[in-house]
Amino acid sequence: MTLINPKKATDWTQDDTETLFLRYARNRDPQMRDRLVVMHQNLVRYLAGKFVNRGEPLEDLIQVGSIGLINAIDRFDSERGTKFSTYATPTIVGEIRRYFRDKAWSLKVPRRLQELNQTASKAQEYLSSRLGRPPTIQEVAQRIGATEEETLEAIELGNAYDTVSLDSKMMHDSDSSPLSLAEFVGAEDESLLNLEAYGDLDHALASLDPRERAIIIHRFFKDMSQAEVARQLNISQMHVSRLQNRALHQLKRQMSSEV
Amino acid sequence: MIDSPTETVLHSETVHLVIPCRPEYVGVARLAILGIASRMPFSYDEVEDVRLAVGEACTHAVERAGAAAATIRIVSTINSHALKIEVSDDIPAGSIAVLSEESRLLKEAGVDQQGLGALLMEILVDDVTVDTTSTGTHVVLTKYAPD
Repeated sequence: MTLINPKKATDWTQDDTETLFLRYARNRDPQMRDRLVVMHQNLVRYLAGKFVNRGEPLEDLIQVGSIGLINAIDRFDSERGTKFSTYATPTIVGEIRRYFRDKAWSLKVPRRLQELNQTASKAQEYLSSRLGRPPTIQEVAQRIGATEEETLEAIELGNAYDTVSLDSKMMHDSDSSPLSLAEFVGAEDESLLNLEAYGDLDHALASLDPRERAIIIHRFFKDMSQAEVARQLNISQMHVSRLQNRALHQLKRQMSSEV
Repeated sequence: MIDSPTETVLHSETVHLVIPCRPEYVGVARLAILGIASRMPFSYDEVEDVRLAVGEACTHAVERAGAAAATIRIVSTINSHALKIEVSDDIPAGSIAVLSEESRLLKEAGVDQQGLGALLMEILVDDVTVDTTSTGTHVVLTKYAPD
């Protein structure tokens, strides 16, 4: 977004906002819209900040929130008597929450906590040896750049996934050198991987709308032709083909973002 | 055999939490709510939503309390169909005593922050009531279990 001569949000008063909205409603001047966007950046920043502990960078959340803001600016009717911030908040928050939903975020949370847990225990070790005593939660939080709340959460929840170093020694045979845990780790099991991919696919399928999902299931799980599916759903074959392509595209995107 | 009552009584469990009305304890409340909301069949997103809503209610109390000694009482009731969280404080209704950094940003943008907090809670959970009296504020947040 290029902003022409951006003014600071504080340079504007409520009256200016109303005038700007009235003018923008009349002439749809993009420059006017840019000003409105800049004026309400603080609102987006505030709302995005509320979601920051969910593991996505603040800047990304501000970006998606800004999309919501722009939509709200375009649809706002200042003559209805609602305050713009009241009108825009659900749109901005809606966009941010959708972002989490679309990223299949819930699958990543355990991994994020697990990583944070590992970082925290490394920091704990490091600080213990440096301070000569076990560090406090505050010290660990500061070291890993997380809030105390996040640190506690990671320590508490991450305990469920206790990890062991691959280099830890497993056997002490008097003749041979000890074997490390890594040497006992088997190869990846292909069928298990497939099972996992199946789970991902299941999840991705759930994100399709019912008709697209029906097409994918008929075409690829029941081996029906496009013509058969078209008849069943009472739409043209061309339409089936279009919906199928769109659905496959979305599945691909969903699944690659989950890897 | 005991005669079964005509109406089904929902088995519910309650957790009480009383915290000092200070910013550093809001995180404690949020952590507790994480554990409590996880007892419900909610998705991660929904648990986080509840947590955020409770954080909003607490932050609001903290901002009104300022340096005054006050407590926040959080009563969470879980049953099979809903999680109800009541956040009460004993701070008389009035103006904001302290502003967090983020709230200051909002004020500069001419946004009514108290209204925004209530709006945010309404977006995040299914049912919100805010009752403000001369003796304090009572917020009830309800999130229903998915069908």
